[in-house]
Amino acid sequence: MSGGYRQQPGASRGTTRKDGKRVAGKQKFPPPGSGGSHPNMAPRDLDWIPESVGGKEPQPAGSHIHDRYRTGTSVGKPRALVDSHAKVTGQAWYGDDVRLPNEIIGKILRSPHHYAKIKSIDTSKVEALPGVLAVATGQDAPNSFGVLPVTKDEHAMAIEKVRHVGDLVACVAAIDEATAMEALNLFDIEWEVLEPVFDPKKGLEDQDEPIHWRGKYHVGKTNVQKRVFQEFGDRSLVEEPSASSHGKWRMEGVHHGFTEPHAVVAHWDPNGRLQLYTPQQVPHYAHRALSTVLDVPMHQINVIRTFVGGGFGGKSDPFPHEMCAAILSRKAGRPVRINFSREEVYWINRGRHPSHIEVKMTADEDARISGFDIDALIDGGGFASFGHVTSYYNGVLATAPYELGSFHYTGARVWTNKPASGAMRGHGAVNTRCAVEVGLDEMSEQLKVDPIDLRLANLLPPHSRTISGFRITSNGMREALERVREGSNWDRKFRQMPLGKGIGIGCGFFISGSGLPIHWDPNRFPHATVHMQIDMDGGVTVHTGAADIGQGSTTAVAQVVSEVLALPIEMIHVRSHESDTSPVDLGSYSSRVTFMNANAAIRAALEIREKLLNAAWEMIGYHPDVLVLNDRRIYYKHDPAVGVSYLQALHKAQEDKGSLIASGAYRSPPMGGVHKGAAAGLAPAYSFSAYVAEVDVDVETGLISCTDVWAAHDCGKALNPLAVEGQIIGSCHMGLGQVLSEKMVYGRTGHLQNPNLLEYKIPSVHEMPNVTPIIVESSDPEGPFGAKEAGEGPLLPILPAVVNAVYDAIGVRIRELPLTPDVVWKAISAKTKSLDGIEPTDLPAPRLTHGPLQATLVERGNEHKVRDKKRQRSEDTSAYVNGVLFGFDPERPMEDQVEGWRTAVEPDPEQLAELGLAGKAWLKQEQRHMGGEQ
Amino acid sequence: MVGEAHVSMIPTTPKKVWSANVNGHAVQALAPSNAILLDVLRDEVGMLGVKRGCDLGTCGCCTVLVNGEPRLSCLCLAGQVEGDDITTVEGLAEGAHLAPIQTCFATHGGSQCGFCTPGFLMAAEALLDSNPEPSREEISCAIDGNLCRCTGYQQIIDSIEAAAEIKRGDAPAPMPASNPHPNPHPEGPDQPSMPPGHAR
Ligand code: FES
Ligand code: FES
Repeated sequence: MSGGYRQQPGASRGTTRKDGKRVAGKQKFPPPGSGGSHPNMAPRDLDWIPESVGGKEPQPAGSHIHDRYRTGTSVGKPRALVDSHAKVTGQAWYGDDVRLPNEIIGKILRSPHHYAKIKSIDTSKVEALPGVLAVATGQDAPNSFGVLPVTKDEHAMAIEKVRHVGDLVACVAAIDEATAMEALNLFDIEWEVLEPVFDPKKGLEDQDEPIHWRGKYHVGKTNVQKRVFQEFGDRSLVEEPSASSHGKWRMEGVHHGFTEPHAVVAHWDPNGRLQLYTPQQVPHYAHRALSTVLDVPMHQINVIRTFVGGGFGGKSDPFPHEMCAAILSRKAGRPVRINFSREEVYWINRGRHPSHIEVKMTADEDARISGFDIDALIDGGGFASFGHVTSYYNGVLATAPYELGSFHYTGARVWTNKPASGAMRGHGAVNTRCAVEVGLDEMSEQLKVDPIDLRLANLLPPHSRTISGFRITSNGMREALERVREGSNWDRKFRQMPLGKGIGIGCGFFISGSGLPIHWDPNRFPHATVHMQIDMDGGVTVHTGAADIGQGSTTAVAQVVSEVLALPIEMIHVRSHESDTSPVDLGSYSSRVTFMNANAAIRAALEIREKLLNAAWEMIGYHPDVLVLNDRRIYYKHDPAVGVSYLQALHKAQEDKGSLIASGAYRSPPMGGVHKGAAAGLAPAYSFSAYVAEVDVDVETGLISCTDVWAAHDCGKALNPLAVEGQIIGSCHMGLGQVLSEKMVYGRTGHLQNPNLLEYKIPSVHEMPNVTPIIVESSDPEGPFGAKEAGEGPLLPILPAVVNAVYDAIGVRIRELPLTPDVVWKAISAKTKSLDGIEPTDLPAPRLTHGPLQATLVERGNEHKVRDKKRQRSEDTSAYVNGVLFGFDPERPMEDQVEGWRTAVEPDPEQLAELGLAGKAWLKQEQRHMGGEQ
Repeated sequence: MVGEAHVSMIPTTPKKVWSANVNGHAVQALAPSNAILLDVLRDEVGMLGVKRGCDLGTCGCCTVLVNGEPRLSCLCLAGQVEGDDITTVEGLAEGAHLAPIQTCFATHGGSQCGFCTPGFLMAAEALLDSNPEPSREEISCAIDGNLCRCTGYQQIIDSIEAAAEIKRGDAPAPMPASNPHPNPHPEGPDQPSMPPGHAR
C-alpha cells in the first residue's frame, strides 16, 4: 500500500512544528480510487437502508421503487454542501469575482423617465472622451427576447421607447469605472415624454399609447398583458352557503433581496466565441436569448454560470445587461465586466407582483368547501418576464390541497411603467394562498369549528386529482397539519390566549417542477440530462446543467450518485458551470432541480452500476441479483468475503473500452387536462406544507413580532435534512419579510423610493422567530428516492399563518400586506372606534365555542385519515377525483353526473357583468376580433 | 445633461502608495487618496473574498477585521486604516487548516449561497475572540449588522455556537466536514477475494 499521498487542505489534523507553526499533515492515504476491500470496508449502514429491502429505516409512507438502489451511503444523512468549503474560504467565485486579463468596465445608462420616446441619441461626446472604448445603444441589437417564447418583449437597450425609470438606454465601456461613469453624463438624448401608468387598475382601460403592442392579440387598447378565466365544477353548490368569506386584498410588491447584486463578464475569445460569465439560475435561457440578440449561433456561445449569491427567481430571466456586456465586448475587443449597484438591482427587479386579490369562498351545511372564487389583478411592470405563467399560478395553484365543489378564477396581468415583476420564490402562488387560507380561518369561525379540523376534513387524498385536473401523487398534508398542531400545542392556545398574543395556521401547496418545459418543443426533449464519466482513477465526474444557487442542487446530485454507486461523496465531482460541458438543463426555477436532475442522475448512475455489477459477475461468478454494493466494494450477498473492490470491478468494466460513460435523462410523464391553460401548474409531484405561527401584537403601536413558528413541510424524502431545514427556515425568513416589513414603495410620482437595503426592510436576525422545522416524508413514487421540492413551497404558509395569528391576538382582520405598524394601528383604531371608542387595550380577544359541526368534522377527518393512509401506501388504488366528497363517482366524467358541471376557459356573455376587478379585462376584445390589426 | 456645475468623476489627484498588513502580510497598493477600503482590498490587493453587497453599509457582506474589530470595508476609506492589521476571510484558515468557525458554517448549514458568509465569518470570529462562550442572544447581537437572505440566520447561529464549543475545547475539532465515513479510506488487500472454484 503506498502511503504518503498529500492530504487535501483541512482534511487532517496537521502537526505543530517546533517553532509553533502548524503545517499541513501528511496522512497515509491510498492511491486514488483504490476500492474499499474486506475486512476494512465500512459496515453496511442499515439505519439508512429502507425496511422494504431489509434495512432499518422506517417507511410509514410505504416503499419506493428506488429502495433497492439504496446503499446507506448518502441519502437521508445531514451533510455539508459539497461546495461549502469554497464558500467559507472566500474562494467561491461570484459574478463580480471573475477578473479577466485586460478587462474593461461597462456601465449602463438608465432612463430618467417613466415613459418616453427616444427621438434621438447623440453619442459623439461619449466617444470623444479619452478612455472610452465602446458605446452601444438599442440600435446595435434590434432583436427582441424574453424568458417565455410567447412574450418576447425585451431588448438589450431601449429601441424606440423606455418603459420605466431605470430602463436601459445605452451602455458604455471604458478603461475604468470612473471614466465609464463620467461617460454616462455625455449622452445627448432627445426625449418625448409620454403619459405613464402606475396603477394596475388604470392599465385595464384603453390608453393612447399602450406600453407594448401585441398586434392582433392585443386586448383592446389596454395594457393587459395576459388575462385568464377558468371555471370548474358546479357553481350551483355555492348558493345558500352555511358560511362564507369575502376578502379584498392589497399586497405590495416585494423583491428577492438576494445579497449578490447582478454582475456579468463577457469575453470574445480569440476564436470568436463568446464566453459569458454570469450568476444565472437559468443559464440555458440566457444562452438562447444571447444567441437571438447577438445573431450568433448557440454553439458559438459558452455560458459560464458563476456561483450564484442567491437567486429566488430574481436571476432567472435572460437579462439585458448580459447582452450589453457581450455587445460592448465585441465592439471593444476586450473582456467587459458590468457589476450592478444595489439600486440597479431594484431597477431590473422581477420581484413578486404587487397584487389586488379578491377571494370569495363558501362552505355548505356539512362544512365542505363548495366554492372558491378568486380574482387577481397583478401589476407586471414594464415587461412580460414570467408573467404569462404568474397569471395562471395566481389561480390554479389554489385548487389544492382542498376538495372543492367549484372553482372560479379570473386573473389579469397588466403592464405599468415600473420595473418589471417576475418570478419569485413561491411564484404566483403566495399572495392568493394567503388570501385563501385567511378566508378559511374566517369561515371556520362562522362555522364554530377549529380551523385545523376544518382543513383536515376537506383534504384531497394522496393519488387523486384536483378540480382542475392536476394529478396529485404523494400527499403529506394531513401529517403536516397534525404535527404542527401537536408541536405548537395548538389545542391549548388557539382562541385562548390573552389580548395581544395569538396563534394562527396556514397551509401551502406547490409544484415540484413544472410539467411542461418553457421552451416546449415537439421533439420530446428531456427536462434534465446528466452525464457521468468514470476513468481509471475511480473518481466520478458528473456533468449537469443544474444551477446551484445556494439551495444545494449540486450536493443533491452528488448524493444520489454516491448512494447508488456506494462511493463516498468525495469521489463524486459535479461539474455544472459551463454550457460547453454540461448537458442542457432548463435551470433552477419552479422547484424542479432536485426532482428532475436527481432523477436523471440516478438513471445515469444505474447505467454505471449495471456495468460494474456485470464486471463483478464476470470476476466472481455471482449474478448481479445477488451482489451487494457497499463502500467501494461489490460482494456476494450471503458471504461478504467473496467480492471485488470497486476499482477492480471498474478496471474490468473498462477493458477495451476506456472510461465508463453514461447519460441519464428525465422527462415528466404526460399529464393533465386539455382545456386552454391546462398545462399551467401541472407538475410531476406537489409539495404540501402547514405552519403554525405565534405572534405578539402591541395593540397600542401596532407592532407585530412573530415569536415562534412550527413549520412542517412534506418534501417527499429529505435527501439532505440539513439542507431541507435550511430551506424551510430560509423560506420563513423571506415570507415573514413579505408579511411584516418588506415592500417596494412607489410614491405618488411613481418613483421607486426605497431601492436599497436600508429602506427595503429585510428581516434582520432580531426579527426572526424561533423556527421549528418539521420534515414530513410522504415518499413520492416518482421522486428521486421519494424526494420532492423543498425550496419554494415552504414559503407559502408563513404569510397566512401570521395574518391569522394576528387576528387571534387582536380580533382584527387586516387584508393589506405588509402588516407594518401603521397599517395595523389604523385597523385597530377603526375597530376601537366601531366599539364606541374603547381603549385598544380593552379590545376583546376572539374566543371560540365549538358548534355542533365540530364533532362531524373530527369524525370525517378521522375517517379520511384511514382512507389517506391506505391510499398513500397503495393499499387502496381506486380512482379518486375532486368531487367524491360531494358524492360523485370518480370513474365517470363529472359532466355526465351533474348538470351544470363546467370546465370553461372563457366567460359566458352573461357572466361578464359580474366579473371582479381582473375579470374586467374580459370586457375588451382582442384586436383581431375588433376588426383591428390583423 | 452636462451642466456647468458638473464635477468630473475622474479623479485628478495622482494615486498614492497605500500600505497595510493584510492577513499577516505587509502589502502595498497604489490608490487614490479617496479610495474605499473595499475597492482597494478587492481590486488592488486581490482579496475577492470580501464581498460587495450594497456599498452602503447595509448588508455586512464586506465586513473585515481591522485590528481585530469588525468593520464595514465599504464605509471605510483606505486611508483611515493605513498601516493597520486587516483580516479578511482569506486570512481565517491557518494554511490549509480551516478555522473552526469555517468548518462549522459548512457542517451546520450556516452557508447556503455563501455570498453573505465571509461577512458573517468575520463578525463571528471577532465575537468569539472576545467572548468565548456567547449566548444565542449575544450571537444575534454580534451578527445583526449582517443580512442573510438564504438561511434565516438560525443555522448561522447554530454554526457559531458549535464553533465556540470547539474553540473552547468543549467539543472535538470536527472530522473533515465533507466525509461522513468513520473510516474514510480503508486499506486492505488489493486482490479480489474469490470463492474456491470461482477464480477465473
Ligand atoms: S457592501 Fe458593505 S455593508 Fe453592504
Ligand atoms: S447564504 Fe445566501 S445570503 Fe446568506
